[in-house]
Amino acid sequence: MPIKMMAASRKRPGLTKAEYFRYIEHYHGTIAREEPSKIVTYIQYHVIDGAFGVLSDKTHQQVAERDCVVELAFENFRDMIMALDNPGGQPSKAAQDGKFFADEPRNIVLMAEEEEIAVPTPMPKFNPGLGFVSGVGAVKVLQYLMRDDEVFREDYYRYWHEAHAAAMEATPAMRSQLRRCVLNRRCRLSDNDFEARRHFGMVDMPIYDAVAAYWFDTMEQVGAFRDYNEALQAYPKRFADWSRSFFLYTRPVAIVRDRPGVAPAA
Amino acid sequence: MTEPIAEWKSQTNARDTLVASKAKALRPPLTPEEQNRPFAKYYREPYPHDPKKLAIMDERADASKAIYPEQLNDLLNPGYLDLEIGWCNLPNGAGFIASMNQYPGVTAEMIDWWFVWHTLEDLRYRIWYPPAHAGLVISPETRRRFLDPAVPLKEKNWGQTHHVTEDCECGQDNIDITFLSPKDFGFDMERWKQPNVSTFAGGFGWAVPVDKKEDSLTVPALMCHIFRDIPGGIEHRTRFWMGYRMSNGKPELTLPPGVAVPQPAVQGLARHNVKEFANLGRMLPEIYAEMKGELIV
Repeated sequence: MPIKMMAASRKRPGLTKAEYFRYIEHYHGTIAREEPSKIVTYIQYHVIDGAFGVLSDKTHQQVAERDCVVELAFENFRDMIMALDNPGGQPSKAAQDGKFFADEPRNIVLMAEEEEIAVPTPMPKFNPGLGFVSGVGAVKVLQYLMRDDEVFREDYYRYWHEAHAAAMEATPAMRSQLRRCVLNRRCRLSDNDFEARRHFGMVDMPIYDAVAAYWFDTMEQVGAFRDYNEALQAYPKRFADWSRSFFLYTRPVAIVRDRPGVAPAA
Repeated sequence: MTEPIAEWKSQTNARDTLVASKAKALRPPLTPEEQNRPFAKYYREPYPHDPKKLAIMDERADASKAIYPEQLNDLLNPGYLDLEIGWCNLPNGAGFIASMNQYPGVTAEMIDWWFVWHTLEDLRYRIWYPPAHAGLVISPETRRRFLDPAVPLKEKNWGQTHHVTEDCECGQDNIDITFLSPKDFGFDMERWKQPNVSTFAGGFGWAVPVDKKEDSLTVPALMCHIFRDIPGGIEHRTRFWMGYRMSNGKPELTLPPGVAVPQPAVQGLARHNVKEFANLGRMLPEIYAEMKGELIV
């Protein structure tokens, strides 16, 4: 998939989780589905649990609440721009609906490109009841990795690869339970999102150069991620600001993944 | 930082590099330490002009003679393309630049050496074209690779990023240029041989003003410097495609429909390119001999 937009948001004031999830899936999802666009896939990841920062932090260093991550995938950047803006330069209907359920000024938005990372034990193709599509587990962990600002972006990606390999080696449970792994690399085109930030009144949006995604069969297997994450953080080369990094255990909800003539993402 | 050599002294971290770029952009006088470097004389030497080529860059070229990045393998054809020197906007809005130089006494090995050697400290980059080149930093891992004798000179830059501060006639920019192998840039490796080509330096860049504001754009471009041997020297052909980026190994236009790269940006880079390479062609044989083709001075 060439390019996608990822937005991590929290519910707006006054909404319960149940109200928020009902609205975003059924009402907002319907608007997005009905709007003509070149979206290839639109998946909502409803947050079940997660953690922000590290145990040694006495208090959170930023907003420590995310309720949903949405991923909109497109064939190319032009399709993305045209889907998010109407021809007159106005945000799409779906974008305008966001204010009714999300705390928009606190959104974290990035454009990203996927790098598939090989896993030792991918899910068998026949695995009824576990994945919402074949080849994918039912639980996805999204790990927002804040780059240590002393580390050059290119070295940060290098070190993540090294740290990931070392952490996998150190955690047998992760090696046997991780079904798929993707490193979503932030695209530099994200730097030009000032109009969106202005429109949504975003306040000091933190920048994440990578969001790693890990698929597991069920919540029972997610514990493997905890061991892995500790090994990742223990890697001797500094590459992430762990106090500003966070991970989310999520449940995927497909909104668009069956557009005619478009191959859905795995 | 491990090796206690001069080539490691200039290593800074990413945060400090960004902060320091504002001061570098003012092109301060050389420090006493820099003045004592054996190549500092090049900073003071007059640089040549190429008025004939600059005059060509005064006018917009015929866009129908330009090539798109998907046609870059045409550069491996014998002879010349319709547009070898000039700039224009392509019909899709992208900025296009072509330039060509012949450098007597220059070899492919000198080119490969230069594109690594000049990254190791600011002054090496500044002498290339003192009026506009402000500084250059590479990451510690890239430096380690560049100074690793096991990596062939020709391949050192593949996949590596140069963090450059320079003025392409629109103000000082911070530009991250990631170099690629010819294969990863899209060249047909079946045709990648003499006499079509002797070496290459190219990749993609992202440029943003040093005095970045909230609404400053970060703009991509593809850069191609391809070289072929000619009697007594080397021929250098440049192509830029501004507004394109590399996506999954393929060029992709990033301009929204109806948007074009502004003329001053395209013309400015075209003119800058003529000037910086006129100077490089002049000094390369001499400095390569003086440095004995080594990276460590």
